[in-house]
Amino acid sequence: MNLSDSKAKLTFAGIVCGLVAACLAYFGNPANMAFCIACFVRDTAGALGMHSAAAVQYARPEIIGLICGSFLIAVVTKEYRSTAGSSPMIRFILGIVIMVGSLVFLGCPLRMVIRMSAGDLNAWVALVGFILGVCTGVLALKNGFSLGRSHEANAGSGAVLPALMAGILILAVATPLLKFSESGPGSMHAPLMISLIGGLIFGAFAQKSRMCFAGSIRDIVLMKNFDLICVIGGVFVVMLVYNVAMGKFVLGFNTPGVIAHSEFLWNILGMYAVGFAAVLAGGCPLRQLILAGQGSSDAAVTVLGLFVGAALCHNFGLAASGTALNAETQEIVAGAVPAAGKIACVICILVCFVIGFTNKRKQ
Amino acid sequence: MMRKKELKLVITFHTTADAMAMEKVCKLHDAPGRLIPVPRSISAGCGLAWCADPDCRESLKALMAQAGVKEEELHECMV
Repeated sequence: MNLSDSKAKLTFAGIVCGLVAACLAYFGNPANMAFCIACFVRDTAGALGMHSAAAVQYARPEIIGLICGSFLIAVVTKEYRSTAGSSPMIRFILGIVIMVGSLVFLGCPLRMVIRMSAGDLNAWVALVGFILGVCTGVLALKNGFSLGRSHEANAGSGAVLPALMAGILILAVATPLLKFSESGPGSMHAPLMISLIGGLIFGAFAQKSRMCFAGSIRDIVLMKNFDLICVIGGVFVVMLVYNVAMGKFVLGFNTPGVIAHSEFLWNILGMYAVGFAAVLAGGCPLRQLILAGQGSSDAAVTVLGLFVGAALCHNFGLAASGTALNAETQEIVAGAVPAAGKIACVICILVCFVIGFTNKRKQ
Repeated sequence: MMRKKELKLVITFHTTADAMAMEKVCKLHDAPGRLIPVPRSISAGCGLAWCADPDCRESLKALMAQAGVKEEELHECMV
């Protein structure tokens, strides 16, 4: 089935992905974190012992399912192409930047949309930063930015990341080696099989529809093309209906329990870094996982950057904290971005400028 | 109202930067066409392509050769 030859079909793909996210939220994923690439990569990095933040350690089957779902659908529909060689180490850095920006805001672009659908006004503020970041990336593209072309690689190269993900799943199910949070967001999850199947379905539909949060805005800014935004619209509408129906729609800024903070500037700058880096890397965090699944070793290196970025964020105290309710005093404790996180975010934006405006297309 | 699809010449490139360079060259020389996302029927990737009428094939090829913009492939498909 061709999912991309009309806006209606693209919207349908978004609706399916939205339904997957809603199911995962219903079955136990943290509030407003139904499906977040940055959070789930961070949790998986914790499960592997890459960081020691005890509250965010769980090998999320959704991430494994996404990559493997994309891989399987690409193989079955003969779209699997093993490619590599487009400035991998710069992409690795961009992966780190995307993760730092995401954890300063507390969510990837997918979670930003999910938070927007739940009435979280901080996510709407962050959207401004994300759009500005994408626009800056587009400016770099217009200025001749390029990381160089990728080339055909050995077929096995593109299959390494999906195989590693399958290996993590086996370790999680069959051995006691991985870490599991006993409290906090990492302890809140849908049953393994539901998460895995949800990830596989989401991955397959995202591969077929080319779902990409940065790409959708890039296409509007660059070509006034509204195809990809239809997919995002589908996700947003389904999650909006779900949140309203379940009584989870709360319009406001300081909403305890949704793992968010109200530092406007850092919500904007965090997502600015994500939008900018995502355009330079050729896709948002979700898209990087999907591209890695369909054979791009360059995207796989970006995904590795996401993992390392997550470890850096928690080992060096860069990640923001969410607004929470003090159980004893019943007072709202405001979430915040630590000073180290603010410095890291600014450095990441500077790095994006250096990468974006010094890597030019060869004449 | 839905736009009717027509047979078009779609030129794909190895990098987004090449597609942007194509846009610049075409604007400079008043050549026909516009940037579009690479049609899904051509690629699962998310790059950009140049879309023009099929009868512009030879003139665009000559322009690319003159400007040093290297295409990946030239396709004809419904866009």
